[in-house]
Parts: sequence; C-alpha cells; structure tokens
Amino acid sequence: MHWDRLLLFYLWVAPHLLLGVIAALLWKRRLHFEFPVFALYVWYEIAEFIVLFTISKTGLNQNWYVRIFPLTLAISAVLRFGVIQEIFNNIFGEERKLKALARISLRWITACLILGAILVSIFAFDQTSNTLIAGAAWVGRAVAIIQCGLVLFLFLFSGMLGVSLQSHVFGIALGFGILSSVQFANSAMRAGELSGSMARVLNLLSTGGYHIAVLIWLGYLIVPARKSIQPPDEPVMCDVHHWNNELERFLQ
Amino acid sequence: MSAVAVYIVIAILLVAVFTYIAARRKRDSLNVDKARSSMASLDMEAFRNLVDPEEDAFLQSCLPTDQFRAIKRERAWAALAYARALSHLALEFSRFGHALRHSPDPSLADLGREVASGAIHLRILALKATGRLFIAATFPELPQRSPRSLFEQYGRSAGLLARYGALERARKQAL
Repeated sequence: MHWDRLLLFYLWVAPHLLLGVIAALLWKRRLHFEFPVFALYVWYEIAEFIVLFTISKTGLNQNWYVRIFPLTLAISAVLRFGVIQEIFNNIFGEERKLKALARISLRWITACLILGAILVSIFAFDQTSNTLIAGAAWVGRAVAIIQCGLVLFLFLFSGMLGVSLQSHVFGIALGFGILSSVQFANSAMRAGELSGSMARVLNLLSTGGYHIAVLIWLGYLIVPARKSIQPPDEPVMCDVHHWNNELERFLQ
Repeated sequence: MSAVAVYIVIAILLVAVFTYIAARRKRDSLNVDKARSSMASLDMEAFRNLVDPEEDAFLQSCLPTDQFRAIKRERAWAALAYARALSHLALEFSRFGHALRHSPDPSLADLGREVASGAIHLRILALKATGRLFIAATFPELPQRSPRSLFEQYGRSAGLLARYGALERARKQAL
C-alpha cells in the first residue's frame, strides 16, 4: 500500500473512531441533553462511515457508493446547520432580550450569506466538469460559505457583546469553523476537472480537515470546562470599593 | 489569479482567523486594573452634561448657527469618547459577571448572572449610543435624545457590583 493510501485510510477511519469517543463522552457527561443535535450529528457521522466503509470494502456495487455519498453529505450539511442553531440557542437562550436580538441578527446574516453564496455561484461559475462529484462540490461550496459565515458571526457577535462561551460550546463552534473553511477550499477545487493525483491530494485535504475538527471537539470535551475567568478574590474587593465610590459620586 | 486560488486564499485566511480567535481566548484574562482605570477615568457627570438636550437647546439659543454647529460637533465627539469607554467598561463588567457565575457560592453565582446580564444590556445601550453620537457628530443640526436608559443601566450595573462587595464582606466576616 502506498503511503498516501495508507494516510488516506487512517484519515478516513481514525476521526470516526474518535467520534465514538466523543459520543461516549457526551453520553457520560449527559451533554446529549444540552446538545441533542450535536449528539445526533456525531452518531449520524459514525453510522454514515459504517455504511460507506462497508460498501467500499465489501466489494458491493460501487454505484451504490456514488448514489449514497451525495445523500449522506446533504444530511450531514443539514445537521451542521442544526448544530450551529443549537449553539446560538445555547449561548443566547438565557437572556430574553439578547435572544431576540441574536435571532434577528442571525436571520439577517443568514439571508446575506445565502445571497452571497448565490452570487459567488453565479459570477464565479468555474465548473468545468459535469460529474456528480463536481456538482456536489459546487453545492458544497455554497453550504461551506454559509456555515463558515455563521460560525464567524457567532464568534464576533458573542465577542462584541461580551458573552463568554463555555469551553465545549467554543470547541464545537471552532471545530465547525475550521471544518467549513477546509471544505470551502476543497469544494472550490473540486468544482473543476481533476487529475488523479490532484483528487488524491484533495481527499487528504478534506479528511485531514475533518480529523482536525474532530480532534478540536475531543480536546475541548476532554479538557474540563474552563471556568472562563476566575474572579480574583482580594483585588476585586478593592475594585468594588472603588466602583462603589464612583457609583455614590454618580448618584449624588 | 484564478478563482480557485482566490478561494484557497480566503479559506487560509478563515482558518487563520479561527486559530487567532482560539489563541486569543486562551490568553484572555480578567483585567481588573484596566476596569479600575477605565472606571476612574469615566466622569459620568461630564458625559451626562455633554448629551443633555436641554444644554444643547440653551447653547442653540445663545450662539449663532455656525458656532453652535461647531460646538455641538465637538461636544458629540467628546461624548463619543465617553460612550466608547463605557462600552469597554461594559465588556469588563460582563467578563467579571461571567467569571462570578462559576462561584461555588449560589448567591454569588446568581449575582454573577445578574451582573453579566446587566453588563450585556449596558454594552448594547453603549453601542447604540455610540452610533447615535456618531450621527450627531456628523450631522450636528439633527435633534439629539438623551441616552437616559444608558445612565440608568450604568447605575444598575454599578449597584450590582456594590452588592457583590457587600456579599463578599459578609462572607468574609462569617468565616
């Protein structure tokens, strides 16, 4: 087996094994109640891998693989949107006013991103291949633009309002951000006619990006939820006296 | 440069941005000194005066139009600096509140939630005031509304922090 095939095999199998660890961790920490869509996404990815791996390795009709692959990608993309929505609800759900503001902003930004994705597809129509994979890549690029934009907006919006993200929420969002960025590059390159070696490199890119995303999710789940910022004991007391004085001065 | 190369550059930039966000979060810490100096430098009475519509009306009645516009513009720019400082202070309050939410003491954790919630509201109001003041600085002839809710929210947030001080004192005396 060539090194690239071996590496590709590793990058195909390993993230899904790690997803099994993530699923177990979510179950053990009862986080599947807090993040049901993310838990569903993890289980779905594992099931999808088992189906595709079985078809690929058991010598079943390869047409099945070609038919099932785009379908699994579509379901995966839909679930990712669900996870992003879930992260938004988790971060901004506690505050009624903030939730309303976040919901309106999210709608507008989604509308803008969809418009942007359509414009990119129309004005940068560089698809030279008519294969199913190229078509899927063309759609995948639009989806990656929207997902990437939503994750970026989530970070900017929460940072702008000073909303601190719990460790695992941050990890899930960061993983999706990196994954969407890699998929954006990957799908943009796949939209054209590809040579055999280029296709192999792109396979490594997409599976490698996925592996990194899974490692990020796992890392932020394993590391105990960071108590975002520890309030210092004594210095803050001094500050509060100071703030109190300022308040008294303000109220006079 | 081909379209594909542009996409790759964008994707690399996006990965870099996400990595930067992750790295910045790691080194983020509660900067109490910064909050203290921001609080000390914030003269709320001066800020209130700068955005007082009655003060504006008085100046308008006393000064010729051109002079009034120039002064109103200068006042709006000065008020804008205050609004920005208040906006940064709200961020510090928010981070402090979020940190307090993890306190093992339930009363402190509840207070932390209130502080964080108030700080977010303060931040939104400060950003809104910043936008309005920017418009006022650009178009001084437009009438200006006093950001009363901003001052009220600042008072509430500062009050919550004073409550934290009282709670901490009580906790320390009980030990």
